[in-house]
Amino acid sequence: MELKKENLEKALTALTRLGKVLVPGVVDGVKKFVPYAAGADIDLDMVNTTLPPKDVLFPQTQKMYRFTTGPDAAFEEISDAEEQILFGARPCDAQSIDCLDKVFLSGEYTDAYYADKRGKLTIVAAACAKAAPTCFCRSMGVDPGGAPNADLLLAPTAGGWNLHCQSDKGKAVLEALSGLLEDADGQALPPAQPELVVDMAPVAEKISTMFEHPIWDELHRPCIGCGTCTFVCPTCYCFEMGPEMHGAEGTEMRYWDSCMFSEYTRMAGGHNPRPSAKERLRNRYLHKLSYFVERYGQTLCVGCGRCVEKCPANLDISRAIEMIGEAKTE
Amino acid sequence: MSDVQNTLRDRVRSLLAEGKISCFIGWGPTRFKDRTIPKFANKPEDAGELVYNEHCLSNLAKYALDFQFSAEVAGIAVRGCESRAINRLIADGRLTRSKLYLVGIPCEGMLENGSTAEKCAFCRHRNPVVYDELIGEPVAEQENPPRFEQVLELESASSEDRYDFWQREFAKCIRCYACRNACPACNCMECYTEQYRTGWQGKQANTLENSVFGFTRAYHIGDRCIECGECERVCPMGIPLMKLNRKLVKDVESLFGSEESGLSDDASHALGCYDKEDLEEFM
Ligand code: SF4
Ligand code: SF4
Ligand code: SF4
Repeated sequence: MELKKENLEKALTALTRLGKVLVPGVVDGVKKFVPYAAGADIDLDMVNTTLPPKDVLFPQTQKMYRFTTGPDAAFEEISDAEEQILFGARPCDAQSIDCLDKVFLSGEYTDAYYADKRGKLTIVAAACAKAAPTCFCRSMGVDPGGAPNADLLLAPTAGGWNLHCQSDKGKAVLEALSGLLEDADGQALPPAQPELVVDMAPVAEKISTMFEHPIWDELHRPCIGCGTCTFVCPTCYCFEMGPEMHGAEGTEMRYWDSCMFSEYTRMAGGHNPRPSAKERLRNRYLHKLSYFVERYGQTLCVGCGRCVEKCPANLDISRAIEMIGEAKTE
Repeated sequence: MSDVQNTLRDRVRSLLAEGKISCFIGWGPTRFKDRTIPKFANKPEDAGELVYNEHCLSNLAKYALDFQFSAEVAGIAVRGCESRAINRLIADGRLTRSKLYLVGIPCEGMLENGSTAEKCAFCRHRNPVVYDELIGEPVAEQENPPRFEQVLELESASSEDRYDFWQREFAKCIRCYACRNACPACNCMECYTEQYRTGWQGKQANTLENSVFGFTRAYHIGDRCIECGECERVCPMGIPLMKLNRKLVKDVESLFGSEESGLSDDASHALGCYDKEDLEEFM
């Protein structure tokens, strides 16, 4: 089955019957997933959005519940989950959602806010026919031609996309698109071959022994300690919670936090176990390349290259992977 | 520029070998041809890895703060923008001149996506204003770059339009604080946004809290901004922060008659010093 490019707008309009459709677009100069509206500035050819799709499931600022304090103290839960269709997510984006699922849904505690949104999300992923110079997904085990956890996969053709249904939610999408699809498949384009390739094998072998390695003494020095890398990263999931108060009434919120901020690990009394950029950058890289692998069997980096593209200092996690691989241990 | 690079490497190699400096802050290569990374040369052998080309976009001055508590002298490459940033940091009490060795490099502007970097377009000081030695010959300064052009344009809009403009821009802010961390005038030991349980700055990324941060930062540096454009360059959301900073710079210059920030390491600055002659229109 093929969706021709000329039918894309009709298809997106048809999908709005199923829920809010989010597409890669440009708003006020920022590339991100935006609610589809007819005539919007959508761009399915864009390799990667600057902002990742994680806020679809895990908003940067999420209202959790309202409350009043005092003798009439009361709580009211806030649930804003709605049916959403993430259209045109890249294979790395889909893989990043798999990482977030592991964090918020697996294990003893299920995050209700995430679960609510996740249950109502349909992922229509678009395989990549071209890669950006900063893409290194393949090195991180992501196939730019596929997205196993997507409900539907769009594989680019010369004139549109071939559709591969991968779940029941995907079937619902196909039904909504009936009448807009060609029965035959189009001529599929070969998947992108990112030029940036790094070798994770030696990293996997030794990184768990490298906490005290001298490599961290130099690696962090260009880092200015901003939150850019963590906020543009599709898999970084740290958050903090706190209320917004108006008199006796308040709203509890959670908002993205960043392990690169100096106050992230500040304890009561002022002690900070990660006092400098060295400990913070080490933590970020070790979390992505070591701790997460130990816990969930996969890296917390999907090789999307967003942090490489946007770091003010041009720090490059793919370069760090190489340096860790080359580092002498013992 | 390859001449400058070679001379820079030679000089840094000697300075490190002679023990004149303990470390040199310059630029180094990345895997991408059009990007460099701040590079710290610790040993004479490291000098060969220094790079100088039209992609040296980072303003290095703030890295000098890494050595603020060190007893040794740190070396640093200074173009016009770095030299003014160093002056700013000294004037603000964050650095000591005698503990810095400044290797001046006259600059003809950097490239961003193939054309003159936005931050260099309005530069009035391509030659370092302070240095211990200079590599190469001074270059001609740009003649009257229209540094307030965008401000004048904004000033001519109605207040409603200006309000809408900034609301739309700050709606995009993700509160990564890259602007603050890159800015040489944002050099407080502890930023008000990081202070514990003061409640001054909500962490919510919404237009209101983002604007509180954006405008507070702009006011706080209004009389000290050296117009290096680093904040705007590093902003991942492309917010035109220099329009705001230059508006304040322009107002401070016209209201207080101050000179541009960072031309000397003299501590006086318009909003931080009391002067009986100051305007007091509203009192
Ligand atoms: S690595 Fe880059 S983006 Fe991340 S905190 Fe450091 S300077 Fe900011
Ligand atoms: S660490 Fe960087 S490259 Fe890896 S997933 Fe996050 S943003 Fe993408
Ligand atoms: S760099 Fe840009 S996005 Fe980041 S805090 Fe500053 S204005 Fe906001």
